[in-house]
Amino acid sequence: MIDGKIIGELEKSALEEISKAVNFKELENARINYIGRKGKITSTLRAIGKIPEEKRPEMGQLINDVKIKVSNAYEAKNSELSSGLSDKDPYPGDPTLPGRKNWQGGLHVLHKVTKEIKEIFYGMGYSLTEGPDVELDYYNFEALNFPSDHPSRDAQDTFYINRDILMRTQTSPVQVRFMEKNTPPVRIMSPGRVYRNETPDPSHSAEFFQMEGLYVDKNVSMVDLKNDLTFFVKTYFGYEAKLRFRPHFFPFTEPSAEVDMSCFVCKGEGCSVCGKTGWIEIMGAGMVHPNVFRFVGYEQDLYTGFAFGMGIDRIAMLKYGINDIRHFLNNDLRFLEQFWRQKGWE
Amino acid sequence: MKVNLSWLKRYVNIEEDPETLAADLTMFGLNVERVEKKTPGFEGVVFGRVIEVTGHPNADNLRVCKVDVGGGTPLSIVCGAPNVRPGLGVPVAVTGAVLSGDFKIKKTKLRGEVSEGMICSQSELELGNDSSGIMELDFELAYGTDLADKLCDTEVIFDIEITPNRPDQLSHLGIAREVAAMYDRELIMPELMELRSGGDFKIEIKNGDDCPRYSAALIDNVKIEESPEWIKQDLISVGIKPVNNIVDITNFVLMEMGQPLHAFDSDRLAEYAILVRRAVNGEKIKTLDGISRELKSNNLVITDRVNTIAVAGVMGGEETEISAHTESIILESAIFNPKVIRQSRRELGLDTEASYRFERGSDIGITVNALKRACKLIEDLKAGSVKKLYSDTLDSDISVYRKMISTRRKKVNRIMGTNLSSEEIASHLEKLQLDTIVKEETVNVSVPTFRLDLNTEIDIIEEVARVYGYDSIKGEGTGLINSFPVIDSTDKRNEYLCEYLASKGYAEVITSSFNSKEDLETFGWSANDRRCNPVQISNPLTSSQSVLRTSLIPGLLGVVANNPVSERKGIRIFEMGKVFLHMNDGDGLPGEEFYLTAVLTRNSDPRQWISEERKIDYFDMKGELESILSIFNNLEDIRMVRKEEGNQKHIFQWYKKNKLLAESGKIPDETAKKYDIESKVFYFVVYLDNLERDGFTRKRYIDPSPYPAVKRDLCVMTGERVTFSEIKAVIYKNSKYLENILLFDYYKDDKPGNNKRSYTFTLNFRSEESTLKDKRIDKIIEKILRALEGQLKVFLRKE
Ligand SMILES: [Zn+2]
Repeated sequence: MIDGKIIGELEKSALEEISKAVNFKELENARINYIGRKGKITSTLRAIGKIPEEKRPEMGQLINDVKIKVSNAYEAKNSELSSGLSDKDPYPGDPTLPGRKNWQGGLHVLHKVTKEIKEIFYGMGYSLTEGPDVELDYYNFEALNFPSDHPSRDAQDTFYINRDILMRTQTSPVQVRFMEKNTPPVRIMSPGRVYRNETPDPSHSAEFFQMEGLYVDKNVSMVDLKNDLTFFVKTYFGYEAKLRFRPHFFPFTEPSAEVDMSCFVCKGEGCSVCGKTGWIEIMGAGMVHPNVFRFVGYEQDLYTGFAFGMGIDRIAMLKYGINDIRHFLNNDLRFLEQFWRQKGWE
Repeated sequence: MKVNLSWLKRYVNIEEDPETLAADLTMFGLNVERVEKKTPGFEGVVFGRVIEVTGHPNADNLRVCKVDVGGGTPLSIVCGAPNVRPGLGVPVAVTGAVLSGDFKIKKTKLRGEVSEGMICSQSELELGNDSSGIMELDFELAYGTDLADKLCDTEVIFDIEITPNRPDQLSHLGIAREVAAMYDRELIMPELMELRSGGDFKIEIKNGDDCPRYSAALIDNVKIEESPEWIKQDLISVGIKPVNNIVDITNFVLMEMGQPLHAFDSDRLAEYAILVRRAVNGEKIKTLDGISRELKSNNLVITDRVNTIAVAGVMGGEETEISAHTESIILESAIFNPKVIRQSRRELGLDTEASYRFERGSDIGITVNALKRACKLIEDLKAGSVKKLYSDTLDSDISVYRKMISTRRKKVNRIMGTNLSSEEIASHLEKLQLDTIVKEETVNVSVPTFRLDLNTEIDIIEEVARVYGYDSIKGEGTGLINSFPVIDSTDKRNEYLCEYLASKGYAEVITSSFNSKEDLETFGWSANDRRCNPVQISNPLTSSQSVLRTSLIPGLLGVVANNPVSERKGIRIFEMGKVFLHMNDGDGLPGEEFYLTAVLTRNSDPRQWISEERKIDYFDMKGELESILSIFNNLEDIRMVRKEEGNQKHIFQWYKKNKLLAESGKIPDETAKKYDIESKVFYFVVYLDNLERDGFTRKRYIDPSPYPAVKRDLCVMTGERVTFSEIKAVIYKNSKYLENILLFDYYKDDKPGNNKRSYTFTLNFRSEESTLKDKRIDKIIEKILRALEGQLKVFLRKE
């Protein structure tokens, strides 16, 4: 007849045997001896039929509890034997040994910058929209008021698939695609990859990233353009940043502007980062050209709007002082990991 | 464009220093990219005056001079120049001065006489070639004043970025016009010679569209020689090599007024006439650069009716080139169709100052004035005698205005966000030499022929904004009142996934959209696989970038190769990006699909003292993929289908119903070796476009059950080809209350021919309504075992 006392003694001797084990073999013997299929504790379960029926559940519960206790002790001893760590000596003599590590990961710096920019524009009421990388000439040039065979196309060396299809050279075609399908108010941003047929060097890459923005409504003026872009620059680069808007030419905006911000390295005094001018060019912008409105079917006298575009690679380069644009697509992990963590974790 | 500041000052009064002018021009839309100052080739050279000259006791050709350079006593300087004489203002290199070639001036003795410095010639100061004597300074300065600024500030060169819409700015006069508008100053026109129309020289144009205007003047008694120094210096300063007086004058007028001129040696013409026509296919011409070129019918040529003498607007022919023997010339001043010139320039690969300007469009009103200017210079330089008549294909008195544009005050203010009056608008425009008439709310603007960019109201508005000043545009604007952002749920999901992987130790990478065809072939995909049929770039940078990627894997393997094992003991990387797949639908664009692809290789964990090193294996990869899929789906709804392709034996595709959600597998070792990767590489691809957009944000929550789970361990065995996922499916189908199945032991008998395996797992049962009774579970277990036995021949393992 089994009873509580017998079970109690079994538990005691099992735990003792487990704790005394100095190697896996002894430990395994203890396990088989007590909680193995033919072990002493396991056998008591089978003998349970011999006790009065009303006591069976209580006894069953007791045996089960003991089995769990012994099995936990086994697990603990097992890991103690494999790691050398125990409750008594949680770090074998040296608490400064390095902690257990997993690989560290992180976002690509261009993704990080895109995300930061995106979040600012979200906060200003811009929605996200995207377009294809492989684009029709119509959207990349024609509808953006780049006449075919015009010198304004020269600045953008283009990869062609065929006569009508190309790798987009700018994110601006997204403007046209979006306006074709939506009526104002339109306030969108569109980050993405763009392509230029340029031999790579430290400041040129055949593939880079841009962020496009567009705001069209009934009373959008150059004042709004200046306000939104000022808000963005000051939010992203700090309140001290100064901006200047100077006239420029883009086929799809008029009036157009290049936007410069005061050099954050020299604070406008002039240094090598800003080419001694104190200013850094960060984006192009302008009021949407009436021809673009005509292409997308917007009433020219009803709506006005502005568009802007900035190079994400360029902004990342400025922000972190990166001097070679080719780093971004090289993916040397020693480059990438600098944007996730500091030194000292090896 | 290079602009010489002193040249510019001939047409407009400029008092501002170069830096101020550069900054102002930049803010006016003429981006001054660089201000080059000719740095003096000397240091420590001061103004002095010769007060006494005496002979040298030991040398007949030397003199000893007393020179006042300020300070106490005059310096004693030995000088050999023939023109040295008392009273002369001279540049003096005093002791400590440095001349070019790091030549340091020291107190020295020349043939026994002390010399305390050096009086310099033009060439010694690198200010010119004159070495015949010392420089004679005809200005007055305090003695001892450093001469660097005085002698060298004459040459300041601006490098200005001219936007393609403003060909009128491609000359000094054009820039001067902008400066005059910017500072509201007067524009000073260069001197012209009076010429009358009615020359008898015959000009014929085949097609007026190709050549809207052709004007020509004749010059006899030409004397070819070197140009005077000032013209040469002007041309050199803006990057043009002087040739001879006639060619230099045409180039000077080009840089001054922006109109390309061309001079033909008229004695070499077969007929005394000009015919402008399209070339005949195969027609040949030897251009000025000595290259023989074959032309096509889309090239425009200048002929003398017999021979082809120039590629119109691009380059002249060698046959009629101005030579030392030229005695009479025909001076061409014409306008050509920009598109035709552009085509010729591209086909012939000939970029010239002329083609650059014609391509951007020309001022139809300028041709005769350019001739008049060139003739004036020819006469001034005595380079020939001008016949005071010119021939022209247009009436001489064409309007100075191209068109009239009416501009609404309201529209100006709507675009600019200002509140200008019509009069204010007009006064800004007048500064740009645009004539205006104000009619209440409208300003009518007459556009001169040189402003090709002004065609519509918005062009005028831009000019108003520019003169008004972008800086002055200020206000509150519309603010945020009328647009609210839509947070894109796909984007949000993607951002979440990237952060999720980053936190699990993956480095995000961004690789090129371009691949090589050979790269794709190494994967052994079948020929009809979409991935094997990439979109081709017709003008790739290199052959290894000639197609668009159809998979992110080649790029990721490239990253593994770029991060050798000596630098990285373990690699987990992912990229989220587009692939491009051929599709034959409406617009002809390829299908762009958005993938998340990860590659795992080398060690599973960082090498460390506390655990053994272990290589990444199949189950590391599978676990990662399952954890991602489980964010969006119940894994029990997803099935894995094995797919064999080429040398790829271990590919699995993950389907939910018929939607392909993911693919996973191992890169064949031979393929990895092609990337110099020695270790096993596992990968998975998640087809993001097929994943739920926002599946990870549950619509409703489920109240966790307050009742405990009941656990049962089962060990089953099988000798058949049965998989765990089949076993699981049967169990789920046959058990109520089953919360999950946790496999914690698996055993496979490795004896050959034996397929025996055993699976040991815990089943967790739980009810939402009550604590489950053992009896109930026993029944469920019985049912499960019956089903496993009946359907799969899987049996409970006996003692
Ligand atoms: Zn700076």
